[in-house]
Amino acid sequence: MRMEGRLKEIAEGIRSIKRLAEGLLEKGSEMEAVKRNVKRVLATVRILELEVCDVVEVLGGSKRENG
Amino acid sequence: MAQGPYWNPLLETLPRERLRELQFKKFKRILQWAYDHSPFYRRLYQEAGLEPGDIKSFEDIARVPKVDKGMLREAQRRPPFPYGDILAVPLEEVTEFRQTSGTTGTPVYQADTWEDWEWWSECWAYVLYAQGYRESDRVFIPFGYNIFVAFWAGHYAAEKIGCEVVPGGVLDTRARILKMKELKCTAFMATPTYTLGMAETAKQMGIDPKDLGIKRITCAGEPGASIPATKRRMEEAWGCPVYDHIGATEIGAWGYECTFQEGVHVNEAFFLVEVEDLMTGEVTEEPGREGKMVVTALDRLAKPCIRFDSKDVIRWAERDCSCGRTFRLLDGGVLGRTDDITKVKGVLLAPTAIEEVVRGIPELGDEYEVVVSKRGDLDDILLKVEIKPGCEGKEKEVLERLQQELRLKTNLGYRIEIHPYGSLPRYQVKAKRFKDLRRKGG
Repeated sequence: MRMEGRLKEIAEGIRSIKRLAEGLLEKGSEMEAVKRNVKRVLATVRILELEVCDVVEVLGGSKRENG
Repeated sequence: MAQGPYWNPLLETLPRERLRELQFKKFKRILQWAYDHSPFYRRLYQEAGLEPGDIKSFEDIARVPKVDKGMLREAQRRPPFPYGDILAVPLEEVTEFRQTSGTTGTPVYQADTWEDWEWWSECWAYVLYAQGYRESDRVFIPFGYNIFVAFWAGHYAAEKIGCEVVPGGVLDTRARILKMKELKCTAFMATPTYTLGMAETAKQMGIDPKDLGIKRITCAGEPGASIPATKRRMEEAWGCPVYDHIGATEIGAWGYECTFQEGVHVNEAFFLVEVEDLMTGEVTEEPGREGKMVVTALDRLAKPCIRFDSKDVIRWAERDCSCGRTFRLLDGGVLGRTDDITKVKGVLLAPTAIEEVVRGIPELGDEYEVVVSKRGDLDDILLKVEIKPGCEGKEKEVLERLQQELRLKTNLGYRIEIHPYGSLPRYQVKAKRFKDLRRKGG
């Protein structure tokens, strides 16, 4: 239960970083240095989504089905 | 969630049924992505009368048309240059160019965005972490950094893990050995052929490779690290474990041995591997049954790889690995390729079986060459091997043993030539030791 809660928190943290980075991209896209570096941040965030968020969704989905 | 030597314990120990759900979710997502963004895939599916929404169960995946290398070559003739209309992102988003070696025909060009490149190195991070690479390692990469993907992603993954990476690019073999010695490197990555070649060169330099302090080696590019006799030779020469990794330019880094060395794990969180029966084409989950690999890279975006007919022959192992990963094991890695396994004298012959015999005989060198040709109406197999220095005079008994073991292992007779040590060609990548002169261009 504790681990499950922690995973959800990690997934939410990843989504927060994504929202923040997307906001930066919107505000700073005219600055190439901001745009290009934020794109790299987003590429890393995508890996975190693959590593955590996808599976948290699957675990959440199966729990709903079972519960 | 299990702890232990996992890059991501959450995924690597996920119960099988959850893993299958994850694969299905991701398969639907990449299918939709390809349908929406890649003209090649959209056309392929429309011609088959299939829409992504038609895939409602795991079993439906087998309805999705396969792609093969020939189709990729065809697609790249269309704009945009040089990747063709398989490309699923705007050309300006591509940051990486790589290409296949062209061993089986025109090279296939591979586009990756930075997102894809992060994904490549992430897949490799699973490989290296499972093989014991840690931040305390100093990793030497004796690879001619070039248009082939080979160890590029291994380099980035080692950095990601926190290792110190030494790029041994433009150095020759002797200089590479000296550099590894000078820097007290603890690991390296190379093809099996080059791993054996470096050991041989080190010995010629008066250096015992075992004294270099290498603790682990990762092999890729050829099947040698899953061929027991070749693996044994490499491990004996270097005095450390040698691990297999399997991947391909069009697919990604999909398979790896872990430190338990009980087979090759498929990274089933990132790839969907289906095994198709060689005769019927039916998808089989049955352990121990050989079949052709059809593989999907579940997260690759710029040039999606969906149900790719790899032509690799594999079989699921009958056991789970002692490491605790739920990612299934393949027995013996890639057992051969459907386009390499050839009928000689009416018998199916896999070149890897010959390698297993040759490298199992200690009096023989690492190199060998097989030439299949026609003598009149009959198939003829000529096997050339090298006698090791110091073993001259033992040719007769070696010849007898070779004949006997080859007959047992492959059910075929061979003409055998024993050559002096050092006289057969040496290779660094993609060794061409099997020549079928019956085929055009063989």
